[in-house]
Amino acid sequence: MKLARNRRLDALCGEYLLGTLRGAARRRFERALRDEPQVAARLRHWEGLLIPRYSSMIETPPPASAWPRLERSLELSRYRTPWHRRLSLWRGWAIAATAAALLAIGLQVLPLKPINSFAEIAQLSGPGDAARISAALSADRRTLELRATRPVLAGPAQSYELWLIPAEGGAPVSLAVLGSLDAKLVLPAAQAARLTRGAKLAVSIEPAGGSPTGAPTGPVLFAGAVGA
Amino acid sequence: MRSDAEIKRLLLAAGARGEGSAEAFEELYKACAPLLFGIAQRIVRRREVAEEVLHDGFTRIWSAAGRFDPLAEQPVAWMAAIVRNRALDLMASHDVSRVDSYQNFSDDEGALDRLFDWAPAADDEIDAGRTTRWLRECLGGLRAAERQALVLAYDRGMSHRELAAHLAQPLGTVKTWVRRGLANLRTCVEECMGSAR
Repeated sequence: MKLARNRRLDALCGEYLLGTLRGAARRRFERALRDEPQVAARLRHWEGLLIPRYSSMIETPPPASAWPRLERSLELSRYRTPWHRRLSLWRGWAIAATAAALLAIGLQVLPLKPINSFAEIAQLSGPGDAARISAALSADRRTLELRATRPVLAGPAQSYELWLIPAEGGAPVSLAVLGSLDAKLVLPAAQAARLTRGAKLAVSIEPAGGSPTGAPTGPVLFAGAVGA
Repeated sequence: MRSDAEIKRLLLAAGARGEGSAEAFEELYKACAPLLFGIAQRIVRRREVAEEVLHDGFTRIWSAAGRFDPLAEQPVAWMAAIVRNRALDLMASHDVSRVDSYQNFSDDEGALDRLFDWAPAADDEIDAGRTTRWLRECLGGLRAAERQALVLAYDRGMSHRELAAHLAQPLGTVKTWVRRGLANLRTCVEECMGSAR
């Protein structure tokens, strides 16, 4: 369809935008839109002038199931930022939370002077209102203690794996494979030395027995930055 | 609703198909799905059909985001057109009779102000703010029958035939209202543009 820039084209643009151009006529117009740049340009011109903005009063929340369905059908997981790069986004928040927690713990614990006291070095938070994990390091820096605000237990076919992402960057290092997130683990000295400010801790879900590849394969449930 | 500039950024990030595209698309969905779902429901009238329209619409938005032209197009209008077109296609193929459900529509000019937002958006360019004002004034200046036909066709996705049934007028009369209403609107808006230069 050859449409000159004229009144007839303007009329078709108007009926198309309005929606009253239907059936075969609408399809012909859409073909012309693809094939003839001046038709597309003219439509854009009228769209800018004749189409009002809807008021927010007509907004209607779609059902909650609509997004997960869309996410599955478009396979959006392929376009997500890898989790260990995403962590840096909320490191600031985690450090602030850790500092606040340290202050609270310090007030309670210091007067007792326990023999091998633990100091919280990171809070690992999950999505939404999931449990939070507190990671505390012993005074001799050999033992890491994890405490969950609610019991978090792995199913029979899966394990949790605790990862350290060094402050200087690089691949995550596996610290432990766990069945529960209330745990105490003895750290090799080399890894304890890397638990410094700026490093991150994360827990992923892996097949029972831990990641088969040595790198995280499952989704990350909890993560947080080391603040001390 | 976020600003147009933010919506543009999210659309472009989704269209880039790189790391973080999915997060940008999710943000875009959160920001725009309620409006687009509202638009779909106004046209198709049935919630489960509107859900299909929303799903198909966002599928097209995802696949076309790479072709979105940020210099030439308004992002929300661009997405709304995709959803509207999908809703109209679906109505045409299902041949659903929806006329009964419009009994309450009244054509006072107030309907225009309830349905649409005529205030200039915060990040509108001066030109966009002016054209919005012209459009409102020109719509107000139309004959009531023409204005009602245009608003029903746009807002409810009514075809000529549905308009004729709803307004209890011969088909030819309704087609004339739509044609003349559009022509008068175009002329009026262009005159505003001409005198502003």
